[in-house]
Amino acid sequence: MRTIALSLVAVLVLGGAAPARSAPDDHAGAIAALADMRAAIAEIVRIEDGYAVGHAAYLRAAHRAMNALVGRRDDGYAASFGDPGDGVGTLGHLDRMLDQTGSSQWTPAVQGAKANVLAAAANLQSALGQKQMEDYQADLTRALASLALVAGRSTEGGVLGGLNGALANTSLAVPVGASVVSGCAAPKSAPAYGVVAGKLAYVALPRSAAATAIPAGLGVSRVELLGDTVVLYAPLARAAAASCSKVSRLQRTRVVARTSVPAPYVAAQAHAGIKVYARACLQCHGADLQGTAGPGVAGTDFLKNAQQNKWTLSELRTTIFENMPFSNPGSLTPKEYADVTAFLLAANCYPAGSTPFPATASPALKTVKLGPIPGVKPTNAKLGTCTVR
Amino acid sequence: MSQRVLALTILSVFVATISVAGPAGVGAQSAWPTASVYAAADKDAANWILPARGYSGNRYVAGGQITAANVGTLKKAWTANVDARGPLETAPIVWNGTMYVTSSHNDVYALDAQTGAVKWHFPYKPHVIAFSANRGVALGDGKVYEATLDGHLIALDAATGKPVWNVVAAHDLSNTFYTMQPVPYKNMLLLGASNGDWGGIGYLSAFDAATGKRLWDWNAIPGPGEPGHNTWSGDSWKRGGGAIWSGLAIDPATETVYVDAGNPQPDFLGTIRKGTNLYTNSMIALDVSGAKPKLKWYHQFIPHDTHDWDPAMPPVLFTGTVNGASRNLVAAGDKGGNFWVLDAGTGAQVYRVAVSTQKGQNTEPNRKGNIACPNTNGGVEFNGGSYLRETNAFYVPSVDQCGIWKSQGTATYVSGQFYLGGAFPAQYGPSTGYMNAVDIGTGKFLWRKHLAYPQIGGALSTSTGVVFTGGVDGDFAAYDAKGGNVLWHYATGMTIQAPAATYVAGEKQFVVVAAGPAGVNFADPRFSKGAPTLEGKYSHPTSAVITAFTLP
Repeated sequence: MRTIALSLVAVLVLGGAAPARSAPDDHAGAIAALADMRAAIAEIVRIEDGYAVGHAAYLRAAHRAMNALVGRRDDGYAASFGDPGDGVGTLGHLDRMLDQTGSSQWTPAVQGAKANVLAAAANLQSALGQKQMEDYQADLTRALASLALVAGRSTEGGVLGGLNGALANTSLAVPVGASVVSGCAAPKSAPAYGVVAGKLAYVALPRSAAATAIPAGLGVSRVELLGDTVVLYAPLARAAAASCSKVSRLQRTRVVARTSVPAPYVAAQAHAGIKVYARACLQCHGADLQGTAGPGVAGTDFLKNAQQNKWTLSELRTTIFENMPFSNPGSLTPKEYADVTAFLLAANCYPAGSTPFPATASPALKTVKLGPIPGVKPTNAKLGTCTVR
Repeated sequence: MSQRVLALTILSVFVATISVAGPAGVGAQSAWPTASVYAAADKDAANWILPARGYSGNRYVAGGQITAANVGTLKKAWTANVDARGPLETAPIVWNGTMYVTSSHNDVYALDAQTGAVKWHFPYKPHVIAFSANRGVALGDGKVYEATLDGHLIALDAATGKPVWNVVAAHDLSNTFYTMQPVPYKNMLLLGASNGDWGGIGYLSAFDAATGKRLWDWNAIPGPGEPGHNTWSGDSWKRGGGAIWSGLAIDPATETVYVDAGNPQPDFLGTIRKGTNLYTNSMIALDVSGAKPKLKWYHQFIPHDTHDWDPAMPPVLFTGTVNGASRNLVAAGDKGGNFWVLDAGTGAQVYRVAVSTQKGQNTEPNRKGNIACPNTNGGVEFNGGSYLRETNAFYVPSVDQCGIWKSQGTATYVSGQFYLGGAFPAQYGPSTGYMNAVDIGTGKFLWRKHLAYPQIGGALSTSTGVVFTGGVDGDFAAYDAKGGNVLWHYATGMTIQAPAATYVAGEKQFVVVAAGPAGVNFADPRFSKGAPTLEGKYSHPTSAVITAFTLP
């Protein structure tokens, strides 16, 4: 038996394309709800990143995002602007999932997601009435923050909370027709979903298919090879194991220490850092972060050099907070410095965590050594950088 | 490997010889500049073969078609685009109708000096430690030499742009890079290294121009047992700075190299390096006639500097008239806003002229922060200025900025990072510039123009009464040397931080200057939409352009 630490497979959660399914099962509903939400986010990001002139383009973007979120059965739906989603809307999919007797492990997560979709829709509604660009942007930013909660939060060990969390940790992971086995025992066949009391313990896949058939929406904390079966343990596999009445294999398995990948920032900070970078850093460090008048600040060359020089996050912080922007050091606010540092960590493919990057110096940063991150898959393979959203 | 390099060298010399044998008028001249050609470069009307024309370091030309009377009709002759990933600081080298320029990331271009057409292009991808900048190439024996941002010295075949040899020249690649133009002298290439804000020690090196082999190093910080070592407390000399990075002048008659060593380190924390910190912020005269250089004299401009006010201006040797007497002089300028004139034979001070606002200069930066002027990027910058015999005046642009300095309690060396003991100052108040004309007879201003933007484009003066310079606002201007009026100007739309040069091609005199994106030091917030032109228009400084001008 060989245990492979593969914490970063969780990244797949963000990348998995939603398969088109017509069957009204809950798993497909959650996937479709997320797809509609991504369509809404894409509308918002496109108008924010673009250079559109005139009121109409901004109204149209907010309407289209709204349509994708609420679906055509909602009063807020404005058909004339078009719908980048499937017409049912994130809200429609979530309502259908909640519209049944009894409750599942995932019900609270879907209820929470629904509340956040409604909050985002309210912000979009507010944006539609704004006259000033700043107010419009503020509303859109609030909407995005709510939608981030709908999706859930990626951590080192997988994804928690929101729809992605429910997909990764509960029976919502199971598509219609799939084989479900007890999560308390090791799988005897594959493919199979190991479930305990509505919680997902693992997904077992035939070794031959494991490379290509990892289900969309799955989060993985650990991978185990059992003969010809690959067992992908859910982020909350230990919680599932705790529900087993007798001592199980899962409980006997010691949790193997993973390569510690530091995640000293939260995704929202990195997102906020995009604009700070564009305003204060891009002129010298380049749109691709490879440096123009100044040095490169992300990717393979940067991380290798950082490793060679034994840089820690503390030194990176000092350089950024105290000597940048070079033509006017110290001219950003502590929050802007923290945001842009989070952005740079994200662009260097460091996964986001639950602790924000501190606005004040912290001795803990000295323990974080910078360098290439094993197992991470950069968005831009050539430069070794990750796209920050 | 070495056989292959040798074969390439032979082949390249052969090819190069054929390629330049054709044009009329060059038959009598050697194919490539030799030691005697270099020694007379100050008087070569057609070519421009050293960063500042000749060993004197004085961008001055006698005669020529362009005069104060006709400069107003100067027109753009051609432009050539080069890699735009950083500021252009290249001093063009022109030889027999070919111009050699570099981009910030060490790309080298050979251009037709008459048309701007690219003859060859050598691309390079260095790892950048801190700033991307390159001041140009050196030429000799069929080769184009470039020192790179990743600490290499490279020889290219001058005819094809293909590498002939490539050596690691810097001692510590984690904190040292090259921006300086190598200077050929006899069989040597003289080259200083940039490491003066990153915890290194400055040194001037001589390399064998044929092979790239190191011949000697001269360290700017005296080690144990050497004179001057006692100007450093404790072990502070070990990371004392004194980078030799800007440029040098040579008097071939006395075989003396004049060179400046930069600021001490940690830049802003003086308490851990008590003493005057020799030979930082000093001009040094070195006798290079022997196998090893010997110190003739030094002149320290700012002892125990705590503001990164290094003498960025390369030395300029000239014979000027002081109080009615002709004297051999050498000029210097520092980022502390001082223009200096020294006796070239002894290093004794003749004049100090303040060319930028100076305030709070005697207060060391503290932890709370205090204001001093000029800012670190202020005063006289790395393109220096020019002496014009006809007016007995020295023309030198300057930057007028103030800054707020902060020091820290300690300085920790981390390889590849700044070693400052504080932070680079935040700019305080306005950022402007001056074009200064200093009367060498009196040490007072002949004239002085206050300009809206920092001026770091050096000066090119002509005996016909014109002084060319460019500002960071991208305006390339011709001043009347006598009165200071602007006779002509051209808005490049980019930032000028490169020096001008002049040459003759096809029997026409050209003036050339490079302009590109603002570098890290001059990323003025006013340029967020591009450098302004005098007409108030904005263009996007996303290109890097060599522009040549000639009379219609």
